[in-house]
Order: sequence, then structure tokens, then C-alpha cells
Amino acid sequence: MLYLTVLLLAACNNNNQLPIYGIKKPITQVIGGKPVIDSIDYTIPPFTFYDQDSAVVDSHTVNGKVYVADFFFTSCPSICPKMKKEMLRIYDKYQTDNNVVLISYSIDPVRDSVARLKSYAQKLGIDNTAKWHMLTGNKDSIYSLADAYLVSAAEDPDAPGGHIHSGNFVLIDTHSRIRGYYDGTDTKKVDKLLTDMDNLLKEE
Amino acid sequence: MKQTLLKYLPTLFFIGLVAVFIYNLLEHGRIEHPGFTVYKNQCAQCHSEDGNGIRELVPPINDADFLNTYFDSIPCWLTNGLNHAIVVKGITYDQPMYPPKVDEIQIANVMNYLRDEYKLKHPTEVNSIWVKEQIKGCK
Repeated sequence: MLYLTVLLLAACNNNNQLPIYGIKKPITQVIGGKPVIDSIDYTIPPFTFYDQDSAVVDSHTVNGKVYVADFFFTSCPSICPKMKKEMLRIYDKYQTDNNVVLISYSIDPVRDSVARLKSYAQKLGIDNTAKWHMLTGNKDSIYSLADAYLVSAAEDPDAPGGHIHSGNFVLIDTHSRIRGYYDGTDTKKVDKLLTDMDNLLKEE
Repeated sequence: MKQTLLKYLPTLFFIGLVAVFIYNLLEHGRIEHPGFTVYKNQCAQCHSEDGNGIRELVPPINDADFLNTYFDSIPCWLTNGLNHAIVVKGITYDQPMYPPKVDEIQIANVMNYLRDEYKLKHPTEVNSIWVKEQIKGCK
């Protein structure tokens, strides 16, 4: 009986580590004159876009920080408002924590200009751009970045708003590794995201 | 044994119904208005369950003044969407609203829910015939 209890407790404690998503990349290093094959974790590739204040936001902006990324567009009628509402919870919670950043990539960069993103951000009450960047830029780059985050985003003339995309919030750690996916339209999943973020911040 | 069970089956069924009724009552404080079901499923993701909307992006739907003024236009908005700016509680909202996937009966139900919930002035409950009439006159 005691043995079972100890086993159960041990199982509980080991649950805090978040997985690392993506396929590891094999690399060959030369150590002590001999080639050694190792693997490195999948990481988000470099990116460069503009935020609602026209500032350049790139991989350096998020380097060393835990961040949450999602894909949206301002004229999205269906899931986006709810996603933004949930994202606001994260924004409010980590206002004073400099290790956390939020990034929302627009998948309709043609219509979502910097000015339009600024207006949208203001409507949501986002005063602190440094905490929550809404990005626009080259359309192809954004779509390939969506692939890199392993989420879906595509143009679809039949969809309301003309685009379809996943409602996922992606949690990234300080080494640009994907640590979790959470349905941004589900309050309970975002509750879990907030808990996981606290754990991740403690880890780093 | 089986005979006894069969004898009590109608009673058990009735008790089951009462249990579901009480559960519903406890969960919602009242029997859920069919219009509230429509609201929860079709409207709440943007306008929020409490009807407050989302900051200055999505307008609230819990303002009786606005709802009273534009009551007759609501069937059109829910069918065709809304593409012009509106002012609710002094704030201007200019984002387009795409129409939800609702039919005339659901529109009538949700409007009756709003009428009931916010004590609106429209003298009677509405039905799908009234909704169809309003939709004919949409601009």
C-alpha cells in the first residue's frame, strides 16, 4: 500500500515537464577529432515583420523569452474575437513580467496594414505594444511561418472572411522550441496554458 | 423480480424526468430559455456570455436603449450581417459583423430572450412570421 502511494506521488511530480514539439534535426559535430551525430530540438526559424507601431519585430525580440503566438486577421468574424479575448487574459496576467511576450501574426497582411493593426489593438485596449505585438509583412513569409509553427493557415474564398486558420495558441520557450498547443477559443484550455506558462517560467 | 421492475418503470421514468428538470433548474437558476441556447451557441463567442462584448472591438448586446431603438432591425442584422458603424453606450464600433448561421425561428427565439432578459419595450413576443416580415424590408 505504501509502495503504491509512493509510486503515485512520484508519477505526479514528473508531470511538470512540457513536451518539445517538432522533429529533431540530426547534426554531425566533430568532437575530439571524431564526427559525432547528435540531434538538436526543432526551433522556430528566424522571422522579421512589422508590428502595430511600425517597429521591426524579429527573432531577437523573442530571444530568451517565453512567448505565445497565434495567427489571426482583423476582419475575421468567427474565432478571432474569442481568441483575442482569451489572449487578453494572458496579456493582463503577465503585464509586469518582462520574460513574457505575445505575438499575433496576421494572415491577411494585404488588408491588415500597420495602421489597421494599430486601430484593432487600440480597440482591444492594448497599450503596451512591447508586451503584445500584432505583426504584418510579407504574405508568403507569414504563411511559411505558420507551417513552421506547425499550425494551419490558408486562404479560402468560401470561408467567412476569406481565410481559415487554426485557433491554436502556441507556447514557445526561451530557446524558440514549441512546448504546447492550446485551443484559444476554449477558456479551460487557456487556463491550462496559463498554468503551463508559470511552470515554464520557473524552469527557465 | 422482472415483473416488479416493469411495474415501477413508468414511475422511475417520471422520477428521472423530474431529476433532469431539477438539475436544469439548479444549473441555470431557471429553465434555460431556448433563445439563450441560441445566444450561447451563436453569439456568445464574440458578444460574450455576459453580453458585454469584447472591449471596444465587439459591442455589448446588453444595452436596453440600443436594443429598443433598433429592435426591428435585428432580424436583418442576424440574416445579412452589419456593415456600418454603430454607437452603443457612447462608444463607436465599426468592425463588420458577419451573420451567424441562424434561421427565422432561432432569430425569434433569441430576440424573445433579449426582450425578456433586458425588459425591452416591444409589446409582444415575436415569432418567425414577424421575423420573415422584417427580413423582407432589409436594405
